[in-house]
Amino acid sequence: MTLILEPSLRAVLDLSLDLLIPANPARDIPSAGALGVADFVLRTAQAAPADAAHMAQILQALQALDGPPTPDALRAVEQAMPEAFQTLLRLTYMGYYSRPDMREKVGVASWPVHPKGYDVPRESSALMDALTAPVRARGRIYRDAVVMTGDLS
Amino acid sequence: MTDDTVDVLIVGAGASGAALAWSLLETRMRILCLEQGPHLPDSQFPSRRDDYELARYAEFSCDPNVRGLQQDYPINVDDSCIAPVNFNGVGGSTINFLGHWPRMKPSDFRTRSLDGVAADWPVDYATLAPFYDQNDRNTGVSGLPGNPAYPDYAPELPPLPIGKLGQTLAAGFNALGWHWWPSDAAILSRDHEGRSKCVNAGTCDLGCAAGAKGGTNFTYWPMLQSAGVELRTQCRVREVRVDPATGLASGVLYYGPDGQLHEQKAELVVLACNGIGTPRLLLNSKSQLFPDGLANRSDQVGRNLMFHPLTGVSGVFDAPLEGHKGPMACSILSQEFYETDPGRGFVRGYGLHSGRSTTPMTYALGGYGIDRPIPWGAAHREIMDEVYPNLASLTVVAEDLPEAHNRVTLDPTLTDSDGIPAPKVSYRLGDNTRAMLAHGTDRATELLLAAGARRVLAKGEDAVWWRAGWHQLGTCRMGPDPETSVVNGWGRCHDVKNLFIVDGSVFVTAGAVNPTSTIQALALYVGDSIKTNISTLFD
Repeated sequence: MTLILEPSLRAVLDLSLDLLIPANPARDIPSAGALGVADFVLRTAQAAPADAAHMAQILQALQALDGPPTPDALRAVEQAMPEAFQTLLRLTYMGYYSRPDMREKVGVASWPVHPKGYDVPRESSALMDALTAPVRARGRIYRDAVVMTGDLS
Repeated sequence: MTDDTVDVLIVGAGASGAALAWSLLETRMRILCLEQGPHLPDSQFPSRRDDYELARYAEFSCDPNVRGLQQDYPINVDDSCIAPVNFNGVGGSTINFLGHWPRMKPSDFRTRSLDGVAADWPVDYATLAPFYDQNDRNTGVSGLPGNPAYPDYAPELPPLPIGKLGQTLAAGFNALGWHWWPSDAAILSRDHEGRSKCVNAGTCDLGCAAGAKGGTNFTYWPMLQSAGVELRTQCRVREVRVDPATGLASGVLYYGPDGQLHEQKAELVVLACNGIGTPRLLLNSKSQLFPDGLANRSDQVGRNLMFHPLTGVSGVFDAPLEGHKGPMACSILSQEFYETDPGRGFVRGYGLHSGRSTTPMTYALGGYGIDRPIPWGAAHREIMDEVYPNLASLTVVAEDLPEAHNRVTLDPTLTDSDGIPAPKVSYRLGDNTRAMLAHGTDRATELLLAAGARRVLAKGEDAVWWRAGWHQLGTCRMGPDPETSVVNGWGRCHDVKNLFIVDGSVFVTAGAVNPTSTIQALALYVGDSIKTNISTLFD
């Protein structure tokens, strides 16, 4: 299934994605529609027949809206076609957070985690001793299990 | 096509098959391993990509039904509340496991005698202890000696950092007077024997591109291949064949990378395909001698399936805890509620595991192993900006008890890409497990508040994780009685004396810990028993 959108419907989809993941202007975090996540959503959906069918349902519902999408209108779509809406939501979240710049906005490094990774210093022996002291002070907490069972092999 | 007969044929190149092969090296027998997946180089692991999180929902999903790769077999999970997860390739599920490495405890091997449930194992902790130690040396294990929840042992490498998140939770455990300890991990805390230490990437499930995690692709297989063990990849075994005259296994039929069916003869056959794959293979190996599946005269093949049902509780703290930094599942572990206490309303117990936080996409989609996206709209923004960075979570890891109705069978219509019947899993939570998870949820909530969480996020309803089927245990259990068990106390099938099973399917009980350390210790023990009994092996 090929998902080709008229510009007007694409605009409605963008506005809908803006409602799914809104912007946070105070932290300069863009919304999903403004970021162009719709490209990812459409491209990814087309690669999986079930997702493409769900997206076709969603697009049809968006096209039938009276006026620009609103949270209430999207909730109505969600209630009317929950499975298709879940697909839209899943692909939107995937498209948005697969972007390194958006990962960074929520505190996770933008770089691929290998090979650089993160610097996490190991706790000193003194700190670990202090932290575990109460646990060690209680003594052992496991049960012995010496049971005469004979030859079980 | 018929190949030369080998001395030992191992099916599966994951945790147990590799350990067993290593144990048999000194015999100088000709050893061949057939693995249905490829041998992936670490350069193909997705954590080197900008969009690495996407792989978790595609070719590196832990769920074979999501991956759907040629080497994967589908699993019918319509009648299960937990989906089995795995990986097929050299290393098996140690490619995408999280490296958490706790041992089972002495009481885990004696649940009938101590607690009146399930059955005692034919082996005990003391017998396995030297094999745990040997396996730890072969794998490279980091941890802090002196854990009072175990008999003495000492991991070779210093513990991994527990980080800000682990320290915060540790303070909470100390405030309540509960046990906790830094997690043992099959992850290198420093460079070791030619392998690089962990870089705290936090994506252990996507393969470890640093080679720090102790997948057998990094640990055993380099040793095995340089010692001459033959490894054939992309070879999927269809059935184990039996000589009707002797009743012994004669070898296997397998589909090779050419798509053709081949026969491989062997003097001794070892199954190491995990707790789903091994019963599937046995049930697919029907013959006149074994019309209900190979080694299944007891009707126990596929039964008593145990997972470790999981649920999670998260706390929101006042400051970022940087939980995405560090090995994904290995920070600290509490075993305060591990041993039976009759006052709790259930038998046996559970662990409280502090993993770290997951990455943003996975959190937004509901968390690792859960398909339940977080809310959209203004709530989404608030959760991702104010909650996600400040989270710490505890996972309640419950001991499952063996129940005959929880089982693996063959699906009547579903097949893999070679047309081999696929497994069907029928599994439901027992009442004991439910009570345990509820108790654990309450205790995890109590702990998070004691550690300073300003609020705790309740999962609500029946919140057992969907993709929690990492640990597939019990489906070909050990035991002294051929009427009630599939293999004897050292992994030999009661019904077929040159057929051995070394994966998690031989577990009698599950404990409440990640099982790979025990699976491999058992495989080494089975190997040692084979060597010890070599002159009378088939008697």
